[in-house]
Amino acid sequence: MLARPGLPDFTYLKAGSPQEVFKLLHEKGPDIKLLLGGTDLFIQMRDRDEGPSTLLDIKGIPGMQDIEFDSKSGLKLGAGVTLNQLSVDEHVRKHCPILCQSADTVGNYQLRNRATLGGNICNASPSADMAPALLVYEAEVILISPDGERTLPVGEFWIGPGTTALKSDEYLKAILFPPPPAGAAGQYLKLGRSKMGDLAVVGVAVLGYPDQDVTAGIQFRIGINSTAPTPYRVEKIEAGLAENPLTDESLRAAAVEAMKVSAPIEDVRATALYQKKMVRNLTLRGLKEIRARLK
Amino acid sequence: MAKHAITLIVNGLQEELLVPSNMTLLHALREELGLTGTKNGCEAGECGACTVLVNGEPMNACLVLAVELDGQQISTVEGLAEGGTLTPLQEKFAELNAVQCGYCTPGILMAATALLNRNPQPQEEEVIEALVGNLCRCTGYQRIIDAVMAASRQGGGR
Amino acid sequence: MRSSEPKLVGQNVSRTDVVEKVTGCAVFVDDVQFGPSLLHGRLVRSPHPHALIKHIDVSKALALPGVRAVVTGQELKARMGLYLIDRPIFADDRVRYYGEPVAGVVATSESIAVKAARLVEVEYEVLPAIFDPVEAAQPEAPKLHPELGDYSVANFIFPVPGTNISEQFKIRKGDVESCWEGCTSVAEGRFRLPPIEHVPLETHTSVALSEKTGQVTLWASSQSPFAMRDMIAQGLDIPHSKLRVIAPLVGGGFGGKAGVTMEACAVVMAQAVQGHPVKLRLTREEEFVGTSVRQSLVSDIKVGCDQDGSLQAMELTYYFGGGAYNDYGVNIARAAGYSCTGPYDVPNVKADSLCVYTNHPVGSAMRGFGMPEIHWGLEQIMDRLAEEVGMDPVEFRQINCVRTDDEIVSGMKMTPIDLEACIDKAAKAIQWGKKEDPTAPNKKRGKGIAIMWKAPAMPPNPGSAAVVRFNEDATVNVEVGGQEIGQGAFTVAAQIAADVLGVPYEDVTVASPLDTKYSPYEWQTVASRLTWSMGNAVKAAAEDARKQILETVADHWDEEVEDLTIQDGLVISFKSEREQPLDKMVIYGLPNEDFEGWKGGPVVGRGHFMPTYVTNLDPETGQGTRAVVHYTVGAQAVDLEVDLETGQLDVLKIASVYDVGKAINPDLIMTQIEGGAVHGMSSAYESLKFDQNGIVLNPSFVDYRIATIADIPQEIHGDYVETPIDDGPWGARGVGEHVMVQTAPAMANALYDAVGIRFSDLPLSADKIYLALEEKLNQED
Repeated sequence: MLARPGLPDFTYLKAGSPQEVFKLLHEKGPDIKLLLGGTDLFIQMRDRDEGPSTLLDIKGIPGMQDIEFDSKSGLKLGAGVTLNQLSVDEHVRKHCPILCQSADTVGNYQLRNRATLGGNICNASPSADMAPALLVYEAEVILISPDGERTLPVGEFWIGPGTTALKSDEYLKAILFPPPPAGAAGQYLKLGRSKMGDLAVVGVAVLGYPDQDVTAGIQFRIGINSTAPTPYRVEKIEAGLAENPLTDESLRAAAVEAMKVSAPIEDVRATALYQKKMVRNLTLRGLKEIRARLK
Repeated sequence: MAKHAITLIVNGLQEELLVPSNMTLLHALREELGLTGTKNGCEAGECGACTVLVNGEPMNACLVLAVELDGQQISTVEGLAEGGTLTPLQEKFAELNAVQCGYCTPGILMAATALLNRNPQPQEEEVIEALVGNLCRCTGYQRIIDAVMAASRQGGGR
Repeated sequence: MRSSEPKLVGQNVSRTDVVEKVTGCAVFVDDVQFGPSLLHGRLVRSPHPHALIKHIDVSKALALPGVRAVVTGQELKARMGLYLIDRPIFADDRVRYYGEPVAGVVATSESIAVKAARLVEVEYEVLPAIFDPVEAAQPEAPKLHPELGDYSVANFIFPVPGTNISEQFKIRKGDVESCWEGCTSVAEGRFRLPPIEHVPLETHTSVALSEKTGQVTLWASSQSPFAMRDMIAQGLDIPHSKLRVIAPLVGGGFGGKAGVTMEACAVVMAQAVQGHPVKLRLTREEEFVGTSVRQSLVSDIKVGCDQDGSLQAMELTYYFGGGAYNDYGVNIARAAGYSCTGPYDVPNVKADSLCVYTNHPVGSAMRGFGMPEIHWGLEQIMDRLAEEVGMDPVEFRQINCVRTDDEIVSGMKMTPIDLEACIDKAAKAIQWGKKEDPTAPNKKRGKGIAIMWKAPAMPPNPGSAAVVRFNEDATVNVEVGGQEIGQGAFTVAAQIAADVLGVPYEDVTVASPLDTKYSPYEWQTVASRLTWSMGNAVKAAAEDARKQILETVADHWDEEVEDLTIQDGLVISFKSEREQPLDKMVIYGLPNEDFEGWKGGPVVGRGHFMPTYVTNLDPETGQGTRAVVHYTVGAQAVDLEVDLETGQLDVLKIASVYDVGKAINPDLIMTQIEGGAVHGMSSAYESLKFDQNGIVLNPSFVDYRIATIADIPQEIHGDYVETPIDDGPWGARGVGEHVMVQTAPAMANALYDAVGIRFSDLPLSADKIYLALEEKLNQED
């Protein structure tokens, strides 16, 4: 079926507080969707020519667009913070630079004025550009419901393509980034079909920090998208790297291992074989780059 | 379906509209206000033909609901030239033949105007980053880059 | 004495349409306001590539409040076509491509039309579908058009009834079979390319209004309003005088808006709701799926040369995937046939160029009209042959490229061109022969060259007409039927008129929108023919107007016309130095002495042009005295890099040189060269993708990617040479398509130079390149 022109019918409502959200979630059940930037939602509604009867705009709830930093607990971004907003924020740039770098690769400048971090996370796309950085920063999502708040590591929040651990009476309030380890350096390597503006055919984030307690002297964290039902870390490979002397061979072996564990599907964007090879090549590039920066 | 009474300040003029919930800003501008300079190219945020400024920031009008923007400032291509005077950016586009069929032009002008407002002396790479969401099939883009750079040398934002 | 040197022609005057475009005032079809009586149309499209229509039930759709009509092809026994009348307006007893219109819904809002379209119920019986043109050409393939033998067809197109072959063009020249033995080197290969889309920024849009008087008005984003009127008038049996087509500015055409796409559907829908304009606007997804495509092609090429590298023989078979309806497609196969060798002097040629029905979207005119398709294989095989015989690719082309007066493949003498100069300039600009280092250690760099030719592919009698009228203040209206699609046609028309008339360029306006009710006839805005053909007509009309003015003034002054000229809107006598402003006299004439009578009156210049010398070609040999009006030629050289870790290509530089005859507006030629180079480069990456059931997998910008501002080459070096033809305005001919014809094979040749791998199939995706690189490395280990 081809996408329709314009959007299907719905009623737009705006929430001013969490209580209003809970009330409507309770009343309308699955027939209501929450609106932040709309850049994923509107396109999906056009594609399927269907949508909820009610869209509830939660951008205006106090705190949704706030960026706070605390040297102990870290960076806290409201779910409604846009990608452009976080990209230029001095705290984000200082403490979670890979997040800014990833944001800058998403779509285009116009889209980034609307697309939000929270919306991106809730969309749970396997190829989300923000995901690898979220994983290597070990971000946590703060979910709010009538029962209060709970926190979940972002890796546990994504359950499958387009599916999250959100309960029916819950919404994503904020995202927490604990302060990264001292001396950390990182990079998001993205392969698209165009030089800019494309989705990730394969995306790899590599974070490394000096760690005297491991043989390699550097502890790496590697986050990968587009090659599994959800974006993922490769903890076994990271441990293997840490436990051995850091050489070209060990970096290459880690990259090859990442290729082996990746599980891309063949699709209109790329063959599975190419995606696997690119996991290897991008991981290797990233590891080498971070090793060089940490020397 | 519910209709909302909203006010949009478009190119400095206060406009009162009655819009359904599901009407995007693109359709509100074109159909409710007759401002047809903003174009419909894909309705998916990919081509940039519908780029307008919302409180000075470029957005794809196809992916914003009119009702979300109650009370906000919207700038469209029709608001660039004042009287008969083109902006330096418009003039450079004309002078350097950075226009062929003209369909992408309004969106590009809005995105570039916003760029020059936030970054009056951009590098070429920054022009490219700012305009990667604006597709053009005719010109091959180089003249567009040249026109933005030339306008920046003339203090081209507005 | 009038100076023969043009004053404005050859100058970089500014575009006539640029201010309206930068201010947002420019009007495209979707911008035209129709008021509250406007209704909205939506097409119901086939979900199958090949199926019989068993039953259509429109009752639920009709019952929806706000729905005014639902039309189908069931009662409508109408077919349309230019060369081969094979296409129904709405599918009749069967559908032949995914997305084919099956029904049309008209409603009071777009939203209701969308809902109603989903309520139309169609029962299909799926038929086996065929997508590969080689398979479809075989006798045992399922027949997509069982009544092919009954279709009306132009007398220069030769379908094969009982098959899927809608056109078979043959070249039998010399004796190819006996040549192979004598050839020192022979190269042979099969090349493939998929269907790709035009992707104009403005999707197809039309508004149709049918009134009780029988008058039908159609607003359409159209390159060719007269052709649109002709086809729809014939298809729907409406007298030409009762069908009016209005064509405002076009937001990109590239051939996709050259003929009729869905506009006839709008007319049928409008006829069902008399008195209300009905707007039919394609979404971007529909634009990808439901408009015409550039045909797919499988080409088998064998070519041989002697020890000096001189081409001796070529054997070619072209299988064009014509899609579900082959109307324009048959002429593409024909044009590819009579130009099948590419721009080379080859004495012995055996070629078969076939257009074959497939269950893909309608294959049709796209920038280049068969030339990009065939040059993809030709330019690579020439490189291979050059390598076989141990020659440099540039040198090989210098030896073999066609020259003026050469007898070419169809038997005619080559029209004036200087391809050697184009090759020279392109090679110099790319620093051919200089091996340059890649910009990074993980990259490899290479250079490639490709040449091209193209003739306008037209019937033998395509005409242009023009009118030049004045306003009282001596400003000028130029009326043409040729369309401004971004290429600068209106600017060239204004420039020529101003130059000939001797008036300031700023005083000339070209009438827009085009309107078959008022505009002079233009066959079509295609084939890069307007500068030449419409240019001739405008020149003639301006000369006619100028003659009327000078005769009136000469009479008034009792002088000779030869002693007068017009400069900056002033008639001047060289003899007496008297002056007469054009102001007012171009309408009111001039009074005699003592107002004893008047001379002159409203000046209206008219002109037309139609070539008269194109001949038929023998259906068995493809030979004839004059296959085409003229050729335009060019050379492109590409310098690119490939990232060995990702397979991504980076085009560093494109040098692009064309022989334009006469540069009427040099900067506009450069804009075509630049835009064409990027379009050509983009076309190397583009592909419509289908699953095994013929469903389009990438009907959006997300997955059908075109070049963005970030993808362009670091440098495009454009240049031109001027070898005039004898019947163009100041010798000019067109170049709008040529500039993208050979970019893809030039890139492929550069890629071979960089990494030693030849890619015979488009697209050149990073995926494909990387995996081929790895395989080559593994083989070498």
